[in-house]
Amino acid sequence: MTEATTSARELTVGVGAGGLATADMVLNIGPQHPATHGVLRLRIVVDGERIVSAEPIIGYMHRGAEKLFEVRDYRQIIVLANRHDWLSAFANELGVVLAVEDMLGMEVPQRAVWARTLLAELNRVLNHLMFLGSYPLELGAITPVFYAFREREELQAVMEEASGGRMHYMFNRVGGLKEDLPAGWLGRVTEAVAAVRRRLPDLERLLVGNEILEARTRGVGVLSRDLALGHGVSGPIARASGVDVDLRRDTPYLGYGELFGPGGPGRVVTLEAGDCLARLEVLLEQTRVSLDLADACVDRLAGLPQGPINVKLPKVLKVPEGQIYCATENPLGFNGYYLVSRGDKTPWRLKLRSASFNNVSVLAEMLPGQLIADMVAILGSMFFVVGDIDK
Amino acid sequence: MAVDLPMPRVGPVSEHAPRPIKVVLNWGRRYSLWVFNFGLACCAIEFIATSMGSHDFIRLGVIPFAPGPRQADLMVVSGTVTDKMAPAIRRLYDQMPEPKYVISFGACSNSGGPYWDSYSVTKGVDQIIPVDVYVPGCPPRPEALLHGIIRLQEKIADESLSSSRLRRKYAAHRTPSAAELSRPLLFTPGHEPVGEERP
Amino acid sequence: MSDLGWLEVVLRAVAVLAGFLVLPLLVGQTEHKVMAHMQGRLGPMYAGGFHGWAQLVADGVKFVQKEDVVPARADRWAFRLAPGVALVPCLIALALIPLSPNVVGAKVDASVLLVLAVIGVGIIGTLMAGWASANKYSLLGAMRAAAQLVSYELPMVLVVASVALAAGTLSLIGITQAWTPWWLLWQLPGAVVFFVAGLAELQRTPFDMPVADSEIVFGPYTEYTGLRFAFFLLAEYAGIVVMSLLFAVLFLGGWSGPWSGTLGWLWTLLKALVVAVVVIWFRVSWPRLREDQLQRLAWVWLVPIALLQLAVTAVGVVMMR
Repeated sequence: MTEATTSARELTVGVGAGGLATADMVLNIGPQHPATHGVLRLRIVVDGERIVSAEPIIGYMHRGAEKLFEVRDYRQIIVLANRHDWLSAFANELGVVLAVEDMLGMEVPQRAVWARTLLAELNRVLNHLMFLGSYPLELGAITPVFYAFREREELQAVMEEASGGRMHYMFNRVGGLKEDLPAGWLGRVTEAVAAVRRRLPDLERLLVGNEILEARTRGVGVLSRDLALGHGVSGPIARASGVDVDLRRDTPYLGYGELFGPGGPGRVVTLEAGDCLARLEVLLEQTRVSLDLADACVDRLAGLPQGPINVKLPKVLKVPEGQIYCATENPLGFNGYYLVSRGDKTPWRLKLRSASFNNVSVLAEMLPGQLIADMVAILGSMFFVVGDIDK
Repeated sequence: MAVDLPMPRVGPVSEHAPRPIKVVLNWGRRYSLWVFNFGLACCAIEFIATSMGSHDFIRLGVIPFAPGPRQADLMVVSGTVTDKMAPAIRRLYDQMPEPKYVISFGACSNSGGPYWDSYSVTKGVDQIIPVDVYVPGCPPRPEALLHGIIRLQEKIADESLSSSRLRRKYAAHRTPSAAELSRPLLFTPGHEPVGEERP
Repeated sequence: MSDLGWLEVVLRAVAVLAGFLVLPLLVGQTEHKVMAHMQGRLGPMYAGGFHGWAQLVADGVKFVQKEDVVPARADRWAFRLAPGVALVPCLIALALIPLSPNVVGAKVDASVLLVLAVIGVGIIGTLMAGWASANKYSLLGAMRAAAQLVSYELPMVLVVASVALAAGTLSLIGITQAWTPWWLLWQLPGAVVFFVAGLAELQRTPFDMPVADSEIVFGPYTEYTGLRFAFFLLAEYAGIVVMSLLFAVLFLGGWSGPWSGTLGWLWTLLKALVVAVVVIWFRVSWPRLREDQLQRLAWVWLVPIALLQLAVTAVGVVMMR
């Protein structure tokens, strides 16, 4: 994967420090490289191990989802919508159905609202666990990912019991959920959440309790607040840089208004440092918050009377003419759908605003001046999903 | 940059070994499948899940520590293959030393899957590299991958390796050569390379 | 040496070679299993039947069959020679390390000196591989290996000098015979420095920057296939064996223990195994440092501690005289 393209600059000094002739080397990281987990490609120019310039090259995972949305009806769209960010499938489907419901002016049953909130939070934990495991892998620690996946399997089992899917749940429908939650399932959720919460310190000790990991991440890859705002960075990465924004609290949807209201368990985790360690810590803390939220949702669901979980839909679902932008707080940041309908059974346009795209765009600013070893640390801490970048 | 690759050949030992030795050789290949995960999309996550504690394909001798294609025996293509990615996949496949195997993991790499009508998706990785085992699903469950691996191991156990058979495999399976697929991966508009005709 | 019959020379050579082939595989299999169980897995289970004992044998059988690829732009001679250069020093070092006063491949007077000199050569193989592969990642890896070399050699030599000073001899057998349990405390700082420097020499986590598979994709070994790659792997694990044995002999008293007259060699091997498991343990639990952090560690901590140890040893030796 390497092409001999060298000597962008030559420097020859007679005596003293820097007396060696050096030439910059162009290094292609990716499209298939262990550190890019997925197929992001970085074209970096290095001087020794110091990065002179970096350019993320995207599009290797471009599957044309937005164009395909236009030939799928509103039920089928969910299939594609939950696949662009494959670690937060439930949150992705949610955005679509919320947009469509809003356009239809549809009233969703209370039980569905709370079940969606619960599943969305469980999905958030799943997503964060993945990154809590894969990030140390980038830094050379192989064990945390095994710990993380043990918890993931625990939660995936619960999700599967309700929806039938391990990753792509396909459980949202316009107007509610596909079917009612299984009997006794809420108890299983409580157990699983408790188990994950109990074992989370094991994982945590391998991460933030480790001196080497701290040495590799503290002060490395600092993303300033202004840069984060300038590039539209959102989600845990922005919050680690002190951008206090969270759509769950700021523009409440589902049950979040109540959860993030006064006395609710919801809180927005922000840190000021903006380095790799801060991003990791935000992720860890958010995992805890999401577990609390899931518990709160279970309590709320248990208190709700029996009733429908979805709305009977017409055979042909047509959305009235108009447009809407519906953004949700995905695990990785803002995930927005801009839906334009001309009254057909398919959308005229469904534009996708995905979190990772903006989050990764900041790399070109962050990487120059860093070492290759730090590049890997930074890349991993940007918590991106390649499908979410390329759509 | 077209590269003429040498004809594929197996190592000296397996070329001239008599039948009983070949059983031993097959056994070695069967239980030492260093895997190179071509993790492209959703399926890559299920691939990782398969290597973790609860499914653990290392039990079967599938070692996921191969850092690059040069050390790998098995390539698992997990995820959607796009037309932009295809040359890279072909090149990495060409970089793997013989004998090598490919598992196509998931609907996307089998046939394009839910992206069957997309303008940018390759409709199956078997259009660019020969595939030994297809694992269906979107994404397939980890158990499905385990099953696929066992099927591959059965296939390896019945094999009789030689360079001529190997060449026949590629002759029978018409796939574009690396030279045909390789193209400039990126260029600035207005600076397209001149004189390079794509076949 | 002149009274050694040629038969004995051959027998010793064969025995060392057998140890050289078996011990690294044992360490490798231990790594597979220990790592797996630390991570809540089982590790290889099917190759060979009982708990996958033959996994590494299968690996070997497979590597033999692989196509031997030499990249078109590679420096062919250096590329082909590099695995040998990495491997042979380990073999020689193994021949020099005594398992007990009688079980030793070759009795050499200044064996400490020779072992240190020889294992320093192994790194040349890595450098050759990195340079000859004509691959940028390999080159980066080789540069890292070279940078690393500077940082660990000095403290290592210093602490070994301390042990030699304490024993008053440069022979490994002599050092172990002079060893008393009190050394465990007396030479403790030196032992720690030796262990850390040894990890860096072996390029094991947390000092595996030259191979760093998530950064530079196995560095110098990126382009190696089949048997040549297997040789590098063997060299890595033989290196662990050599380091562990050396640690056991220098700091843990080698064969001293109950029934050391007859079972001494077993004691040495057991102590070395414990050290090897610690090496594996480090890999399982720790991330990787950065190259400059290793340099800092070496010059700010290891070298001063080693010098201090040397002074403490000198004082001790003078006091006891």
